[in-house]
Amino acid sequence: MRKVMIVPCSGIGKSYGTVAREGAYVVTEDLRPDTTQLVPLSLLVLGDEQARADVSGAQAITIDGCKLACATKMVTESGGTVAHDLAVLDVYRRHRDLKPSGIAELNEGGTELARALADEVVVLVDRLTGEVKNA
Amino acid sequence: MPKEMLELTVDKFTFRVPKGLYYNDAGVWVSLEGNVARLGLADFAQQRSGDMAFAEVKPVGTALKPGVEFASVETIKVNLSLPSPVTGKMVEVNSALGDAPEWINRDPYGNGWLAVVELTDWSSDQARLLDADAYYALIKSQAEEEAK
Amino acid sequence: MPDLPKKKVGIVACSGEEMAEGTVTRQAALRVLEQLRPNETVTICLPLFLAGGEGDRAFARFYPTIALDGCDRRCAARGTEMYSGKPAASVVVTDVVKDNHLGTARRLSEAGKQAVDVVAGQVAQKVDELLGVTWDRKQQVADPSQPTQESKAKVATCSCGSGIPVQVVQVGGQEVTLIALPLIFEQFHAAAKLPGEGTAVELIQTVKIYNPIPDGQEAAFTEAVMREYAAFCQEEN
Repeated sequence: MRKVMIVPCSGIGKSYGTVAREGAYVVTEDLRPDTTQLVPLSLLVLGDEQARADVSGAQAITIDGCKLACATKMVTESGGTVAHDLAVLDVYRRHRDLKPSGIAELNEGGTELARALADEVVVLVDRLTGEVKNA
Repeated sequence: MPKEMLELTVDKFTFRVPKGLYYNDAGVWVSLEGNVARLGLADFAQQRSGDMAFAEVKPVGTALKPGVEFASVETIKVNLSLPSPVTGKMVEVNSALGDAPEWINRDPYGNGWLAVVELTDWSSDQARLLDADAYYALIKSQAEEEAK
Repeated sequence: MPDLPKKKVGIVACSGEEMAEGTVTRQAALRVLEQLRPNETVTICLPLFLAGGEGDRAFARFYPTIALDGCDRRCAARGTEMYSGKPAASVVVTDVVKDNHLGTARRLSEAGKQAVDVVAGQVAQKVDELLGVTWDRKQQVADPSQPTQESKAKVATCSCGSGIPVQVVQVGGQEVTLIALPLIFEQFHAAAKLPGEGTAVELIQTVKIYNPIPDGQEAAFTEAVMREYAAFCQEEN
């Protein structure tokens, strides 16, 4: 069974980018290490063979910081299949009490928002891997 | 929507100011449409505020005068109360912003409009507002100060 | 006309998620942007840059950039060159820091945090160098054996999309485009700095902030710029 590829934007201009990055780590290292794999966006875009091979034929979940949706756009343009795309901004709207701040280091709200994001991603991962199992 | 646009570039940011609109110094733009005015948030104000997480506009029927809040927006950087630039009554609000406040960022002078107001004292209101050139000068000084 | 823009340096970090060195680049870039050189630097968000962010790309075409990469795959440097131009400086963490025990991409070790200090310090130094001297954004060639010709001044707007005016001047028989020259002339004229020897030194130093001048060509460029400035002043008066 192919792992689900998790592709965060890791944008450096806003807190949302750090939340996306941290959320991706929570998914791939803590919650679903056996069924997910993190793919660095820049490597994919710039044609790294391994990154392209990882994404090719696999289902990807992109995590974008904001509505500019750089990760979703670039994964699609690089030949990947985006099964689900999340924007941290939308997750924040669902968790208004978890206001993130800081880019180099997240505040408590940002760390908890990353966790909330990861929980939403895991639901999608389980749905994808469950679908594969049942196929 | 007027086509002629003033543009201010500071570092990597470009701020657009359409000619033919009026502005208050909080960055609310006014587009005169007969006896009503369409209101929105100018490009400089929306860029400086960041990604819109929430936008709330007062309901239809709300009486407005200059300085009274007609809408508020929230980003992770700011909670912004937007003062009305005009006198009148709210006759329409942009309901799309409830689910998609990002229109304010994406298209501040088009689909990101906030409200339509039936005007009752336009001549007094107009005298208080900035035209595009005056608003451009205002944001130029603010942007360059922030970029230092 | 826009005012003469303050020269700043764009910082592009790879932020590579799969290795500690990528996190070092991210943290080092933010250290420079937020603490060490906040007024002299601008962040270039690499994913936005790659996805087509025109503001970031236009900035990187006009202003010098420093690419910060975690490894020799050099995503930040390659991406910048692909869409804007070769970075003025490039730092690769594995070249600077030989320690392999930097922690993980998610949590840097103490050695990793020290690596951030080292890399950030180096980047800050490069920022100072770039702002103090011209950087070789493009090769300029002037043949000093050719007689100086009447200059065909042409004022236009830089094609990089920045909106900065440029002027074409003749230097040693070759046409050279000098960025921001019309604005520089306006500022000098407004400050009542008349064409002359004292003004020449200051004028060419200002020109060098925005334009690379090849080694050994400064005298020729100074002569050309002063000639244009004299013509500018005559027209204004």
